[in-house]
Amino acid sequence: MTRRKFIQELIKVGSAIIVGVYWLAEKASPRKFVRALRLKKYPGSIKPLQDVYKQSKWSG
Amino acid sequence: MKVQCELCPKRCLLESGQSGECRVRINIDGILRTVVYGFPCSMHIDPVEKKPFFHFLPGSKTFSLATVGCNLHCKNCQNWEISQANPEDSEAAFCPPEKLVELTKSYDCQSLAYTYTDPVVYYEYTYDTAELARDNGLRNLLVTAGYINQEPWKRLLKFVDAARIDLKSISDDFYREVCSATLKPVQDALVLTRAGGVHLEVIHLVIPTLNDKPEQIRGLSRWVRANLGSEIPLHFLQFYPQYKMRHLPPTSSKTLDTARDIAMEEGLDFVYIGNIQSERGQNTYCPGCKKLLIERIGYAIMQNRLKEGCCPDCGKEIYGVWK
Repeated sequence: MTRRKFIQELIKVGSAIIVGVYWLAEKASPRKFVRALRLKKYPGSIKPLQDVYKQSKWSG
Repeated sequence: MKVQCELCPKRCLLESGQSGECRVRINIDGILRTVVYGFPCSMHIDPVEKKPFFHFLPGSKTFSLATVGCNLHCKNCQNWEISQANPEDSEAAFCPPEKLVELTKSYDCQSLAYTYTDPVVYYEYTYDTAELARDNGLRNLLVTAGYINQEPWKRLLKFVDAARIDLKSISDDFYREVCSATLKPVQDALVLTRAGGVHLEVIHLVIPTLNDKPEQIRGLSRWVRANLGSEIPLHFLQFYPQYKMRHLPPTSSKTLDTARDIAMEEGLDFVYIGNIQSERGQNTYCPGCKKLLIERIGYAIMQNRLKEGCCPDCGKEIYGVWK
């Protein structure tokens, strides 16, 4: 192997390692969200709209 | 795949199927989902004074709503039955943003109030509704603990007309021990709100033995004056034994009166007392000539002497949104 070929091989292997490490790091780190997507189905029970004039028992 | 929620300073790291501390934001197959969007657990028409807003359209009605969930876990929470509830154990109505706006208009309310629990945890629902409400000529009021990261807060503030933010203490230890939160993000939210030109009122629940010492009240008042300005209304509210703090007594009216005196000594112009009858602590007085401007009994406005937002006697402009 000539010196030039050896350097070319070295660059190829080095690049593959860098891409691989980057890919692994991406997989391992969590996806970040500020805005969440809505879920169409409520996990609790659904009630009809209440009488909004009824005095609220809640503070605020 | 793990996801991280970047909405509030807790930055919950969630495995698939796991929900955040707020209980309403869940990692479903590598996507962060909100389970309460469009599903309010409570809707009422309240006087704006109940929030309390004393300097924002006095005497007006506000269409108030909440979903379950909260990113704080205050041991003294007055609304813990909904703020600390799991969505799967709760009941909610289906009411998308369009329906909320339609209801608000049909009941002749001038504003929507996102309240009772904390609009931070139903951020997307609040955001979309607020944007639509603004397009329909309605105002948006937030009642919050202000525990949110700066970027999402700035984005939401574009559609907010008024915010009532709790400053629960000036001590980080208090936030950590009582609320499972921290102080700095709340202070940042307060400063950002003020800087963003959004109408702001601050409340402070005075809890016996925990945050009622005169030096604590003085420190809090000084911080408000130095960072938000002397014209920002500060409400001292009476604590009532609730949730995990049933062993403490209610705040005495003497303690609340003392707190008000201290805050006024520190140069705040509008200091109120709430959750308890207090003649001088419920009315608005002109900081210039000291004359009565707005007289209140409970949530009712008995008289409003303001003329175009100014004192009718000395002409001083009074902080607030009056029309």
